[in-house]
Amino acid sequence: MKRRHWLQSGLPWLAAAWWGVPAWAGPTGSTIAARFGKLPPPERVRRVFAAGAPAGVLLAALAPDKLVGWPLQLSDAARGLLGAPLQGLPFVGRLAGRGSTVPMETLVQLQPDLILDSGTADATCISAARRVTEQTGLPCVLVHGRLADHAAQLREVGQLLGVAERGERLAAYADATLALAAQVRASVALAERPRVYFGRSADGLETGLEGSINLELLDFAAGSNVTAAAGKGSLTRVSLEQILGWDPEVIVTQDPAFARRALSDPLWQSLTAVRKRRVHCAPSMPFGWLDGPPGVNRLIGVHWLVQLLHPAHPAVRALEPLPVAVQRFYRLFYGADLSPKAVAALLEGAA
Amino acid sequence: MTTCVKEARQASAALCPPAPAIWLPWAVAGVLLAAVVVAAFALGKFPMAPADLLRAVLARSTGAASGLSPAQETVVWNIRLPRIAAGLLVGAGLAAAGAAYQGMFRNPLVSPDILGVSAGAGLGAVLGIYLGLPLAVVQALAFIGGLLAVGTVVGVAGLVRRHDPVLVLVLAGIAVGALLGAGISLIKILADPTTQLPSITFWLLGGLNAVTTADLAVTAPVMLAGLVPMALLRWRMNLLSLADEEAQALGISVVRLRLLLVAAATLTTAAAVSLTGIIGWIGLVVPHVARLLVGPNFARLLPASLLLGGGFLVATDTLARTAASIELPLGILTALVGAPFFLFLLARPGRGE
Amino acid sequence: MSAVPQANSATLPVLEACALAIGHGQRRVGTDLSFAMAPGEVLCLLGPNGSGKTTLFRTLLGLLAPLAGEVLVLGEPVAAWPRSAFARHVGYVPQAHAGIFPYTVEDVVLMGRAARIGRFAAPAQQDRDHALHCLNTLGIAHLRQRIYTAISGGERQLVLIARALAQEPVLLVMDEPTASLDFGNQIRVLEHIAQLRQQGMAVLLSTHQPDHALRVADRIALLGGGRLMAIGTPASTATPERLAALYGVSKRAVATSLGTAIATSHPPETTP
Repeated sequence: MKRRHWLQSGLPWLAAAWWGVPAWAGPTGSTIAARFGKLPPPERVRRVFAAGAPAGVLLAALAPDKLVGWPLQLSDAARGLLGAPLQGLPFVGRLAGRGSTVPMETLVQLQPDLILDSGTADATCISAARRVTEQTGLPCVLVHGRLADHAAQLREVGQLLGVAERGERLAAYADATLALAAQVRASVALAERPRVYFGRSADGLETGLEGSINLELLDFAAGSNVTAAAGKGSLTRVSLEQILGWDPEVIVTQDPAFARRALSDPLWQSLTAVRKRRVHCAPSMPFGWLDGPPGVNRLIGVHWLVQLLHPAHPAVRALEPLPVAVQRFYRLFYGADLSPKAVAALLEGAA
Repeated sequence: MTTCVKEARQASAALCPPAPAIWLPWAVAGVLLAAVVVAAFALGKFPMAPADLLRAVLARSTGAASGLSPAQETVVWNIRLPRIAAGLLVGAGLAAAGAAYQGMFRNPLVSPDILGVSAGAGLGAVLGIYLGLPLAVVQALAFIGGLLAVGTVVGVAGLVRRHDPVLVLVLAGIAVGALLGAGISLIKILADPTTQLPSITFWLLGGLNAVTTADLAVTAPVMLAGLVPMALLRWRMNLLSLADEEAQALGISVVRLRLLLVAAATLTTAAAVSLTGIIGWIGLVVPHVARLLVGPNFARLLPASLLLGGGFLVATDTLARTAASIELPLGILTALVGAPFFLFLLARPGRGE
Repeated sequence: MSAVPQANSATLPVLEACALAIGHGQRRVGTDLSFAMAPGEVLCLLGPNGSGKTTLFRTLLGLLAPLAGEVLVLGEPVAAWPRSAFARHVGYVPQAHAGIFPYTVEDVVLMGRAARIGRFAAPAQQDRDHALHCLNTLGIAHLRQRIYTAISGGERQLVLIARALAQEPVLLVMDEPTASLDFGNQIRVLEHIAQLRQQGMAVLLSTHQPDHALRVADRIALLGGGRLMAIGTPASTATPERLAALYGVSKRAVATSLGTAIATSHPPETTP
């Protein structure tokens, strides 16, 4: 649909910016879903705005000194687990079409060189990004953010932002993690995969259906999402009846309150997972290991979950111990040096 | 007869106090509106000195370069201008539609949503967001949804011949609106809580933060197409406040006039809702306030509602984008600002009602 | 009273009902109603509650379709009249009601000009002058800027008459104009009707009070049992016998109630 921009015609620089460069959809295999506006050359990218939480985590890992602000609220405890430039970054709000909390004028005032968005790139998000570019003249890039894309994502975005070397290092880590998961998946048949239930809210009745980006970790780590029988979709609420019917072998969550409740509540006692005490809470500081946001923060979660579900697998046994892996991940991705005590507290406070 | 009239006028003038110049209140209203618009341009999260603003405007009108940074130009022309223009248009449109509905349904507590246009537009938009369609399609769905909802209500009401036609319209509107509202709630449950639900929520609360000039270029003609018939027929609307038979006896084709006004008001409201989401209270309070200020004669009430509605929405939107660090949805603010003001106007002594 | 103008072939009757049957849907409220009104004539309709006076008026005004027969206004069937043209010739005065919105009296009277101004126009100065003239005729020009909902019932009735006069009609149809008015207001309204008749306006009115009919009417019609029981001069129509039959009360009661009225309107007949 051709739109006529009445007022922009008087501003030649804006006109050249996007009349000359139409929307660009990446070639198949690229994680870049779309980009709008004229992107500055990588070496000149100094300030990047993260449109949503997954993009925020991606930028925090790739280019922490270029991130303009956090699109999500971070508690003091969370900030304590982040490296130096990230700790003090202010909250600026997210950019999500109608659901934006950052005022447009603040966005223009921040004058980022680039706006980055990661996650599901459906038509709504793409048209919202196009509008932002049209209205403010700031270039927008959308990247796919599914778990399998993380290595390619880190490489490509690293190149875009002029931090190709760092991007390569992080991508190598991602490659290793993804390869590990692939190895485990290859050797464990579908039928033998443990049936896992991921409870999300405090009452544990919120979960995700097959295909939801928030739960893809389960299948990735060679587990089997119990909700598969309920069809495809995204996040949803289920009833305890359904959970009892599915009878998962393992329950994972990021909410310690739910983990405690599942173990103590008489209604949940009959579940196999509860009887075998296989209810596990993943840490969520500074970002969730399994989800929340669904970004590169999940890479350590893959390690954690694979160890949990398949402790006897040879590839898993050959891994470094979890505390060491956690230290390495936090140093590499968040720039934070965690003492062994801090790591233990992290793992324990969750369990 | 002329002498009789002159005498009568003198006699009546002796008994009634002379009214001030008829144009004075309108001039005051116009000046106030201009002041609100200027303030809206000057205020915002992006720091902008009034001198810079003046330079930008002068440069645009003379075609010269203004010497301002591109960011400042962007803020003035791409962000603030569409917002203010949309605020004026939507506020005026919703207020005019509200005034028309209040006259047609002979009830000062009626809002344009009574025939379900907001519920229909809301369902169209949340459906579009849920299905992940481009924003332009979401807006189109909102517009079509609003029109379809009212079309259904009018169609259903046309089939019922038994009761008072106005009552049937209202009841059918309530029923259809409830049905569509249930559909909206259902989609809210099914939507993804992290990505879609905030968009849906913000849309249902209304806001001008996502309005671009392209949106305005498409929606403004439609809204004007709805406002023009209402403006032309504004005196005739007075007759719809009488009982149907009385109005017919005075020479009005009641059914046709009502249908035309419903169509015009629906067109305006559906276009407004597709542009900004559901902004409540304006269609209900502004005509009521205007009636308290200028009286119920639609020849005066409609222009007053237009001015007041446009000014109110621009003022509220300026507050919404400057008061807090995040953007506050307009629907919340219109209620918070409109209700106490309305109570104040009711409490002061004025024309008897 | 002056000679009653008769409708004859030389003057076109301003209103004519031919074998009219009225009612709603299946319910037939009146049959075989035939009468004609000459220009400048006052015809008063008497009838008990539920006799169909309001239905008859609605049918005559074209607001309700007749079940049989037809209504002619100035020789043309009502169904053929465009609504605005009809309003320029026939004015309807309903019973005074409380308004919903606080219009001024002037605004209310100006609504009567709707049929005389363009579709998208608002009343001009000449319309306002005419409205003032109508208010003046009824002696209520001093109410011009008052709020319609704030004045008394009698004043409201006069305002509605002024509104109908603003249409500049040739026929006024008034539905019980003196109902719920006090004695003084009733007299005033009747005097205005007499005055309108002097000015050549045809008036069709219904009333519950035969004495009012006897005061102002050129002719009286009795509507009872779904038929026009009688129509003619007040002397011949509003006799105690006829009225007693119409209302189902005794002749003596009628004569006692109406004693003065009958005596003044026509010479006393043989004592009942």
